[in-house]
Amino acid sequence: MSPQSHNAEQNNNEKPPVEALPDTTHFGFKQVETDQKVNMVKDVFQSVAAKYDIMNDVMSLGIHRLWKRYTIDCSGVRAGHKVLDLAGGTGDLTAKFSRIVGESGQVVLADINDAMLKVGREKLRDKGIVGNVEYVQANAEELPFPDNSFDIITIAFGLRNVTDKDKALASMYRVLKPGGRLLVLEFSKPTHDMLNKAYDMYSFHVLPKIGQLVANDADSYQYLAESIRMHPEQEVLKEMMENVGFEQTTYTNLTGGIVALHRGFKF
Amino acid sequence: MPIAQILTSGVELGFNQLLKLDPDSQARLAKLSGKSLQVSVKELPFPLLFNFSEQVEVGAVIESNEHNQAPDCLIELDLNTLPKLQDSSQLTQLIQQKKLSLIGDIYIAQTFGDLIKELDIDWEEQLSKYTGDVVAHQTFSSAKSLFAQAKQELEKAATNIGTRMTQADAVAVKPIEMALFSEQVSDLRSDAERLSARVQRLEQTLKDLKG
Repeated sequence: MSPQSHNAEQNNNEKPPVEALPDTTHFGFKQVETDQKVNMVKDVFQSVAAKYDIMNDVMSLGIHRLWKRYTIDCSGVRAGHKVLDLAGGTGDLTAKFSRIVGESGQVVLADINDAMLKVGREKLRDKGIVGNVEYVQANAEELPFPDNSFDIITIAFGLRNVTDKDKALASMYRVLKPGGRLLVLEFSKPTHDMLNKAYDMYSFHVLPKIGQLVANDADSYQYLAESIRMHPEQEVLKEMMENVGFEQTTYTNLTGGIVALHRGFKF
Repeated sequence: MPIAQILTSGVELGFNQLLKLDPDSQARLAKLSGKSLQVSVKELPFPLLFNFSEQVEVGAVIESNEHNQAPDCLIELDLNTLPKLQDSSQLTQLIQQKKLSLIGDIYIAQTFGDLIKELDIDWEEQLSKYTGDVVAHQTFSSAKSLFAQAKQELEKAATNIGTRMTQADAVAVKPIEMALFSEQVSDLRSDAERLSARVQRLEQTLKDLKG
């Protein structure tokens, strides 16, 4: 099921007013039934899985690789650690984590979407990364792992697609070991007005066209742009993490706030 | 723009590419597998963290975080000392001279130095993949002979300049003249010290007489 076409009369850049409709949530700028969102998100990623990596490179001009390197630099990962790469998709972070944690460690690559997991598994195996990586299809809101399982959890460009973010954050908190940390890398709100305007123009007018050209799927990239605008901004996400129990929570704006890395600890 | 990550990705790429060109480097790298080395160069704004597996992962230490596990080996040095890391036998001496500070397992620093020092890349073989054996061989032979010739010319020029400065134009001092001058300065210093001691004795005698 593909997302419905966007209403041409509505201004693409504007977030619609949020109305408290029962049992509904946002899917981009649209309101959908809550229990439908997870399937709609699955469909988006089913559609983009095969071209996901190349689209990331084209859309961000390769900068996403630097954002992910920064995430790993902030993770404190060492040999022997157990890492959960949630919404890990095609395994960019998992590849590096796997090499660093080594034989005595483990990386679990979890994603709700089977197509993304398959692409990730193939990619990692082509790189010779086997042995310490486990692949799990899982919903971030209900992680199928025991309490206190992981030293590090990362979720890169995945949290904005989760229906109930508070539930997902609580689930991550539960499976993190005491002393462990969560890193949330996600699109956020640019810190300067001029950048914000340029970013809006790029997201709503250029991205869908690139999506059409490269992945033959303009609608999914329209959803991408809209879902970014609906995601909580920096301070709000920090508070959400603190509400479920994370401590010493901080965030760093990257590329003028287009992306932010939030980090919180469990003690 | 994450500048640190641009730098570390460049270092990582370069390092791993060089290691790939030396087939024997994998065996040396295996000795470091699972280990981590932090290198703090005083002139750089952040330390580098090397994690070793079947390749080298290079990261930036963003901030000293009390929650981060310490690396297996941590070294601090300046840019001038960095090339000396290649000679692992010098490590202890550098530490004693306080040019290098090391915390942790010295074996990791030594093995890292050996990893770089023992890189043996057959550049002719690498070039031949693109140009063919004959062209690669001829290119390298010509380059070697040009290099040897240039080195010879440079040594000759240095000798000629030295000879001219000391003998023909007498602009520079000959070594024997320098030695004689140094000896004369030493003698003068000794004489000055003897004179100073004698003056002090005379002053003391005068004081005693007055007292």
